[in-house]
Parts: sequence; structure tokens; C-alpha cells
Amino acid sequence: MSSTLVAGAPAIGAEPAARAPTDWRTDAMRGRIRRRYAAERRFRLLGLAAVTLSCGFLLVLLASMLSSGLGGFQRTDVRLSIDFPALNLPVTRGQLRGSGADLALAGAGLQGAVGRAAVQAFGEGGDRYIADRAWLTVRDAVLADPGLLTRRTAIDVPASSGIDAAARGAGRADDEAVVARLEGLRLLSTAINWDFFTRADATDPGAVGIWGALKGSLLTMAVTLLVAFPVGVLSAIYLEEYAGRNRWTDLIEVSINNLAAVPSIIFGLLGLAVFLNTLHLPRSAPLVGGLTLALMIMPVIVIAGRNAIKAVPPSIRDAAFGIGASRIQVVFHHVLPLALPGILTGTIIGMARALGETAPLLMIGMRAFIASPPGGLADPATVLPVQIFLWSDEVSRGFVEKTSAAIIVLLAFLLAMNAAAIYLRNKFETRW
Amino acid sequence: MTFAQPKMTARDVSVFYGPKQAVKSVTIDVPTDEVTAFIGPSGCGKSTFLRTLNRMNDTIPAARVEGQIALDGEDIYSAGMDVVQLRARVGMVFQKPNPFPKSIFENVAYGPRIHGLARHKSDLEAIVQRSLKRAGLWDEVKDRLSDSGTALSGGQQQRLCIARAIAVDPEVILMDEPCSALDPIATARIEELIAELRGNYAIVIVTHNMQQAARVSQRTAFFHLGQLVEYDATDTIFTAPKEARTKDYITGRYG
Ligand SMILES: Nc1ncnc2c1ncn2[C@@H]1O[C@H](COP(=O)(O)OP(=O)(O)OP(=O)(O)O)[C@@H](O)[C@H]1O
Ligand SMILES: [Mg+2]
Repeated sequence: MSSTLVAGAPAIGAEPAARAPTDWRTDAMRGRIRRRYAAERRFRLLGLAAVTLSCGFLLVLLASMLSSGLGGFQRTDVRLSIDFPALNLPVTRGQLRGSGADLALAGAGLQGAVGRAAVQAFGEGGDRYIADRAWLTVRDAVLADPGLLTRRTAIDVPASSGIDAAARGAGRADDEAVVARLEGLRLLSTAINWDFFTRADATDPGAVGIWGALKGSLLTMAVTLLVAFPVGVLSAIYLEEYAGRNRWTDLIEVSINNLAAVPSIIFGLLGLAVFLNTLHLPRSAPLVGGLTLALMIMPVIVIAGRNAIKAVPPSIRDAAFGIGASRIQVVFHHVLPLALPGILTGTIIGMARALGETAPLLMIGMRAFIASPPGGLADPATVLPVQIFLWSDEVSRGFVEKTSAAIIVLLAFLLAMNAAAIYLRNKFETRW
Repeated sequence: MTFAQPKMTARDVSVFYGPKQAVKSVTIDVPTDEVTAFIGPSGCGKSTFLRTLNRMNDTIPAARVEGQIALDGEDIYSAGMDVVQLRARVGMVFQKPNPFPKSIFENVAYGPRIHGLARHKSDLEAIVQRSLKRAGLWDEVKDRLSDSGTALSGGQQQRLCIARAIAVDPEVILMDEPCSALDPIATARIEELIAELRGNYAIVIVTHNMQQAARVSQRTAFFHLGQLVEYDATDTIFTAPKEARTKDYITGRYG
């Protein structure tokens, strides 16, 4: 053996002692095993506790929302008996056919007549037991069956918000008395408030609907997705696959990372300055809201996209380049399909954040009182979280339940969106 | 050493990774219809040089190539050379099997499809079948062409990669340690395959295994520290090397 091979060995004479076999049965060894098991057990318990705690919070949230919000989807009806011949409405049978029928009934003073019928049925002040829009229910009943006008009949009409609140045990004392009397006569019933799903904001809590805000959110989210997803993904692809590494791309990377952490209200100010003051796009519109939120979530999508693209094994890229795929083919045939699940995860997170965002939308005027659902991207609109914010600020008690009901709708929207994204992600998930 | 009709020629080729030189002024001719083996200790630049032959180094931003490399007399680093076409003509098989996470059929069909080599679906099917047969994989996979390519065994995956490379009908096939991740039986299978493919393609194979180089190649090039030390007929290299360094390496003095 050459001397160089033992150069690092101990000096001659210090023979290493014969190897003593390790005794695995000493007390120290046993103690170590015990401690190891104990540590494992402790960690498992801690993890379990953490999961239980977070699930518990979620359950408490859901339970409290459902218990206080489900009532928001219901309304109280009063059975109103109307003697149509006695009301003497100046309409002819002929007018009730065709498209002008609802106008004819309005013109004939049906609204006042219904009020009078209520006074007749319930006595002095009886017109305050029924909602302002109760006559619309009567109108729809007459339109469905014009024969009603010739006889005496009973129709379930929405109760006024005071009676509605009292029926739920949260009204004023005098209303409570009325409710007790009506209940004694078996005139009260509860029905599902379908109007809640078709109407928009209103001043009367009994008349509000969530559809205006829901449609506003849908339109806003559509704009956000259509702008942020392609731009974010293309940026991620460009930065990862095309741009070289130099001072400029480093700068861009740092900027994007910082942008993702900028408070959302700043994006609202940016949207205000750029889209409203400079480009003069319509105020309060889903178009502007969507663009503003797109600016906000784009960095999230870019960062998630870059990480997903980075995680694609280089061997796949080599394989594709190796048989002569062009760069764009490598990206679109191989890298993107493998990166898509990760990109979608980032998009879900971004969209969920955008859906719940209030502050930037307040800055661009989406907090106005808007009583009809938006017809298009340029119409004034509000969105679910802003609607929740506005309702929670109302003094009238009827809005408390409506607020919780709106929160339930928002959560359902969120769940639906996430479910769709998870479905898509699983569809594209590939193993390699 | 030069030939009358070399398939590829390299003249004074140097490769740098940033400031570091990995290949130093290599001049070599790759013959047509023969297998050339590149041997040498780890880190001596075999893979790096191999990757200059189909410009795979272009995908590494830090890499810079100097000198001249020609395919059939045409400079592959000239402005007029289309890299995509070059890589179709000079195919590559990598050290680690890297099938696409797609079906077996798609793996093989991908190259012909992007290069427009098949006009009809039946053409494509014929190409896939022929390539898999040539790669000696057809009998094992003919009943499950739609299964994922990644679900095959390592040796099958590597043969799938070879089928994928030959499906575009290349003129040269570069193999970078194609058997280093395989067991002896799969290795023997690939070596047989190389012997069968010889004659139709110019094949360059990088290997750490002396016996393998001796078995499959007709020419052997020995690299050391980025330089081409010796290049000769395989028999000569293994029986009567001219350079002392070659002899030391082959007899196991270092490496
Ligand atoms: N992408 C890279 N960036 C920087 N240096 C590299 C890169 N790839 C290889 N090198 C360096 O270039 C030299 C040659 O590497 P190469 O991979 O060509 O060696 P090799 O002969 O193929 O070795 P092995 O037999 O271990 O595969 C090595 O010193 C290596 O560190
Ligand atoms: Mg190598």
C-alpha cells in the first residue's frame, strides 16, 4: 500500500481498539426509545388539537351564520281577504287580457284598494300590517286568474317589516300584540322568500334581495378572471421560459412579490386614478371593479404560475427539446399541462380573495345604493361583500337577518367557485 | 482521426460555463453507420461535448460554444441552421429515462406529429408501430398503447425513449449513458438494440462502462479534463492505446 493512502491516519502505534458491539438493551437505549415514542405521540396530539380547533371555528361560524341567516330566506305572509266587487275597481275584462293588464290594474288604483281592503279586514291601521309591495302579490294573483275580480277571496300577502320582525319575536310591543291577534285568527304563515333571490337592494328590509349584489359579483369576477388569468399566466410563462436572468428580471420579480403584499385599498386608489379619472370608465361598474381586482390578484397568479412552471421536471423539457420541439411547443404541449394544477391553485386563492374584497371596491364607487340588478358590465352595481357591509350598517332590525343571509349566499358562491376549480385541477392533474 | 465521409465534424470546439471551460479545443469526426463511444472520468466534459452536437447547450443560458461543428458539412451553429430541424436530425436519448407523462402512443407519435411527418392517422400509427418494433418494445406494449409511458419499467421506459427518438427518423442518435439507470438484463437489451440500429444511424454513446464501450462501439474517444486525449478504433484503444493517460484510465488507475 502506498504511503499516501494512510497519510491522514492516526500516528503509528495508536492502534484503534477492537470494535465493541453496541448494546441496544441498556437502560439509556430503552429510555431513548420511550422518549421517541412519547415525542411522536405528543406531536400527533398537538396536530389533532390544531385540526380540531380550526374545524371547530369553522363549524361555529357556519352554525351561527345558518341559525341567524336562514330566517332571512323566509318571509311572513298575512292572509288578506279582499271583497273585489265591493272595491269597485274601474277595469274591464277586456283590459285584463294582453300585455297592458298590469298597467291597467295599477291605473285602476289597485294599490290603494288593497290598502283599503286591509283596513276593512283588520280594522283601523290594518294597512300597516301588510308590506308596501303587498298589492303586487294581489296583482299577480288577479293576472293569473281574472275571475277573482268577481268574488270575495283570500290571498297570502307579505307582511310589513314591523309585523315580520314581531313574528320572529324581535318586534315592537304594539306589533307583537297585532301578531298575537293575527295568529289567534290563524292568518299568519311563513313562506320562502323567493323575492330575495330576484330583487336588489331596497330601503325596506322586507323587500331587499340579493340578486343585484350576486349578479354584480358574478360580472365582476368574470372580468377579473378573464383579465387576470391570461395576463398572469402569460407573464409567468414569459418570466420563466423566455426572459433571461438579469438585473431587469430580478427587479420585476421583486416588484411582483411586493405587489402581492400591497394592501388591497391601495389597488382601489390605483383603480380610481387609472380607470375612473384617466380612462373615464363608468363609476360603480363591474367592469372597473373587475379590472381593479384583476390588478390585485395578478401578482398572486404570476407567483403561483412561476412556481408551478419551475416545478416541472427539467427532464421533460429536455425530452421535448431533444426531439426538436420549438420553445412554444415545449411550453404549451408539456410545461403548461403539467403546471396547470399549480396555476389553478394560485388562481383559486386569488379569486377567493377577490370575491371577498370590499375596500378597493368602495374606492371606485361600488358602495352606492343600487335598487336594480346591473344589466351589463357598465351598469352601476354592487357586490356581495359590499352589500353585506352596507346592510350590516343599517339600523333597522330586519337587516340583521338579511346580512346573515347574504353571508350565506357569499359562502355558497365561494364554495361553488372553489369546487369548480378543484374539479378542473383534478381533471388536469397528471402524474409523472 | 478523420474519415473520408464523416457524418459530423467538430473543429476546435470549446465550451464554457460562464468563465469555466468544460471542453477544451476538441477536434473529432463522427463516422456514418458506426457506433462511437465517449469514455472518460466523471466531469471530463463528455456530456457537455455531446450536447453541442445537437445544440442542447442552447437551453443552458450560461453555456457558450466556440469552434465549428458540421453535420454533413453544414455548420450547425451558423445563422441559417434551424435548431428545431437540427434536433430532429440529431436525436438524443438521456441518462435518466424521461418519457412524457402521456400515453405510450403519444410519446412516440409526438415527434412525427410536430414535424409533420405523417399525413394521415394511419401513417402515424405505422410510424409508431415501426419505431416501437425497432426499439424492441412492440411486443411488450402493443396491447396497452394508451397506458401512460411513465407506468413502464425503467428499461422499458428507456426503450420507449429510444423509440421516440427514432420515430422522427434522425440521422444521428446521441446517447448519454443510456444504461446507467438500468439493471444488467435491461442493459443487455439496449446494447442489442444499439447493435441492431447500427448501420441505419450514426450513433454516439457516452458510457462509464469499459466493457460496454468495447462491446457496442467501433470507435472510442477518451476524454480527460475537457480534452480529447485519444480517438481510435475501439480495438486499438482497448488493446494498444498510444497515450499513457488512456492506458491508465482503461486499466483502472483513476476515474
Ligand atoms: N449546467 C452547468 N453549469 C455549469 N457547469 C456545468 C454544467 N454542466 C456541467 N458543468 C461542468 O462542466 C464539467 C463537465 O461536465 P459534464 O457533465 O460534461 O461531465 P461528464 O463528463 O458528462 O461527467 P459524468 O460522466 O459524471 O456525466 C464539469 O466540471 C461540470 O461541473
Ligand atoms: Mg455526463
